[in-house]
Amino acid sequence: MASTLISAKLPPDVDPTKAPIAFGRRALPKLSREIQSPELLTQQRALMALCDLVHDPENVYQAVQIGFLENLKTLLLHHDSTVRQKTTEILYIMAMHNVGRQGLIQNAVIPVLTELLDDPEDICRKNTHQVLDMMAKLPEGAVDILHAGLIPLLVVRLKTESDEIQELILGTLSNCLRMEASEALATDAITILKEKLTHPSATIRNKAAQVILEIGTHPEGKSTVCEEVIPLLVSLLEDTDPEVQASAAGALMFATIKPKVCCTGGEHFLYTSRHSDTWSYSESPVLPSTTSWKPFLWLEAVSHS
Amino acid sequence: MLPALRPPPSAASAVPYTYCSPPRAVPARPKYRAPLEADEPQKEPARWANLMYDRRVVRGNTYARQAVPTCIHHPNAFEIQRRREARRKALARKRAEEQIQLRTPEPVEGREHVHVQTELYLEEISDRIIEVDVECQTDAFLDRPPTPFFVPAKTGRDVATQIEEGELFDFDIEVKPILEVLVGKTIEQALLEVMEEEELAKLLAHQRAYAELRNAELAEVQRLEEQDRRYREEKERCKQQQMEMLQKEKETMEKIAAQAFAKRYLTDLIPSVFNNLHESGFFYDPIERDIETEFLPWLMTEVEETLEKKTLGRVMLDSLIRTVTEKRLDVFSQKPLPDQVEAPAEEHRPTDNAPQVAAETEAADQAVTADEETDQPAAEDQASHHITFQSEEANQEAMEDSETD
Repeated sequence: MASTLISAKLPPDVDPTKAPIAFGRRALPKLSREIQSPELLTQQRALMALCDLVHDPENVYQAVQIGFLENLKTLLLHHDSTVRQKTTEILYIMAMHNVGRQGLIQNAVIPVLTELLDDPEDICRKNTHQVLDMMAKLPEGAVDILHAGLIPLLVVRLKTESDEIQELILGTLSNCLRMEASEALATDAITILKEKLTHPSATIRNKAAQVILEIGTHPEGKSTVCEEVIPLLVSLLEDTDPEVQASAAGALMFATIKPKVCCTGGEHFLYTSRHSDTWSYSESPVLPSTTSWKPFLWLEAVSHS
Repeated sequence: MLPALRPPPSAASAVPYTYCSPPRAVPARPKYRAPLEADEPQKEPARWANLMYDRRVVRGNTYARQAVPTCIHHPNAFEIQRRREARRKALARKRAEEQIQLRTPEPVEGREHVHVQTELYLEEISDRIIEVDVECQTDAFLDRPPTPFFVPAKTGRDVATQIEEGELFDFDIEVKPILEVLVGKTIEQALLEVMEEEELAKLLAHQRAYAELRNAELAEVQRLEEQDRRYREEKERCKQQQMEMLQKEKETMEKIAAQAFAKRYLTDLIPSVFNNLHESGFFYDPIERDIETEFLPWLMTEVEETLEKKTLGRVMLDSLIRTVTEKRLDVFSQKPLPDQVEAPAEEHRPTDNAPQVAAETEAADQAVTADEETDQPAAEDQASHHITFQSEEANQEAMEDSETD
C-alpha cells in the first residue's frame, strides 16, 4: 500500500547557510526568536533567511507589526561583521518599501545608524548609506536625519569615502538640505562641494550640482553660492553629460533669484550661453520637457535681477 | 375503498415501492349495492360524480384516528363529545366492575384472611428482588498487542518479470512537468528580482520628475516673491517720494505765507522803528545837535549872564536907589519928608530884599527872581533897561566881583 511518507529522511537542505523557514504566518515569528538566540550561527542563518523574505512587501509589513525592528536595532551593534552587514542589508531592503520606511521612522532606527558610519567593514558602511539615502527621500525621514545631527558627519565623510559611497552621501545630502541648509553651511560644505564639481565621475558632478541646487533654495545659501560657486557652475553648463548640465542650470536658476544683490556671474553666463547650444536638453533621458525649463526659468530670473 | 395490499416482501426487488396510475375521473358509485343475485355488474355508461359529494373522499383531519363516520357529512362536534362521554362512562363502568369482582368477601368474625400460595412449589415473594453483582475488568496497562503480520499462505505459481528501458515511462515526457516547475520557479524568482529593481527605478524616476517640477515651481515662486518684493519696495519708495513732495509743498506754502505775513508786518516796522528812534533822539541832525548841545547852552548862559547882568544892574540900581533914598531919608528925616518918597522907598525895600537874596543865591533862583522881576511892571524894566545899558560895562566888572565872591 502507498503511504504519504516518501522517504524516512528529511528533505535535503539545499542551502545550509539559511535557517529553514516555517510555513506561512509562522515564518517571521520563528525567525525573530532565532535572531535573539545566543548562538552566533543561528543568528547568522536567521538573518540570511530574513534577508530573502523581506523582499516581499507583505513580509515587511508583518515584520514591522511584530516588532522586528527592535531586535534589528540591537543587532546593529553586534560584534560580528556578518551580522552587522546582513542587518544593514535587511534594513535597506525594508527601507525600499514605504511601510518599512515608516517603521524605521517610528522605531527611531536612524540615530542607531549614526554609530555605523564609522564601521570598519566597507559593505556595512555602504548599506548604512543606502538606508540613509532611501530614508532621505521621504520628507519625514529627511527631518529625522536632520534631527539626528547627521549632516555634519556626512559632510565630513564626503572627503574620505569611496566614490560609490560618495554618490549615496550626496544623494542623502541633497534630499536633506531641501529642508534646511544652515547646518551644512556651518560645516563649510560649499568648499567640499566645489571640489566635487570637478570630479572625473559624471554622477558625482551631477549629484554635487544637485546639492548646490538645494542649498540655493534657502536665502542664506543663496548668498554663499552666489559668491563662490557660480563660475564653476557656469563651466559645468558646457559639460558633456546632459544630466550635469541640467543640474548646473538648476543650481544657477536658484542662485540667481536673489534679493537685491545682482549676480555678476549671471551676466557672464548670458554671453556664453548665446554661443553654446545649451538649449538642446532633449537628450536628457528622464524628462526632456522639464530639464529644458530650467534654463528658461533661470534666464527669466536673471533678467529680472 | 381500502388501500391495496402491499405486495409480499418475497418479491425482493431493489426498486423501492412505487405506485402510479394515470389520472382518471372517478365514476359515480350507485347508492345501493347491486343485488346479490346478479352475476356481474352490468356495464352502465360511466357517470362522472362530483368529487365534493363523494362519500369515499375523506374530509377533515387525517392525523388523528377517526372513527368512520356513519353519515356522509362529518359528524357534529356535539355528537363527538357525546360519544366521548359515552366511551368514558363505559370505561368507568368496566373498572368499577373489575374492582367489585376482585374483592373477596369480608372475613367472618374471629377469622383473618391470609394470603396463601397454593401452587405446588412455594415461592418466596418479597419486595426486594434478589440481585447479584458480577464484575469484570480488563488489565489496564496492557497495550493492544500489534496485530501479527498477515502472511497469507503461499499459493499460486512463481512468476518473474523484467522492466525494460522505455517500458515504465518515457523520460522525455515525464521530465517536462518537472523541468517546467524548476525553470518556472527560477524564472519567477528572477522576474521578481528584476521587477523589484524596475519598480525601484521607476519610483526613482518618478521622484526625480517630481523633484524637477517642484524645483521649477519653487524657483518660479521665489522669482515671483522677488518680483513682488521689488514692486512693493518701488511702491513704498514712490509713496515716500510723494509724501516728501507734499511735505515740501506744504512747507513752501507755509513759508510763502509766512513771508508774506512777515513782509506785511515788517513794512510798518522800519518806519515805526525809525520813528521811535527819531523820537527818542537817535537820529539827529548834527548841526541841530550841535546847535542844541553847544550853541543853545552857550546862548542860555549868555542870556543868563545878560539877565544876571540885568539883575545886577537892577540890584545895583536898587541899591543905588536905596542908598540914595536912605541918604535922602536921612537927609529928609531930619526934616519931615513928603509921603511919596517914603512909599517908593518902602516899595523898594521889599524889592531890595528880593534882589539881595537873589544875588546871594545865584543860578537856582534866577528863574524865581526872573519871574519876580518880570512881575514888576514893565515900566521898571524899561527904565532899568536903559540904566543897564548905560551901566553895563560898569556892572560887568561889578558882576565879576560879585561872582568871584
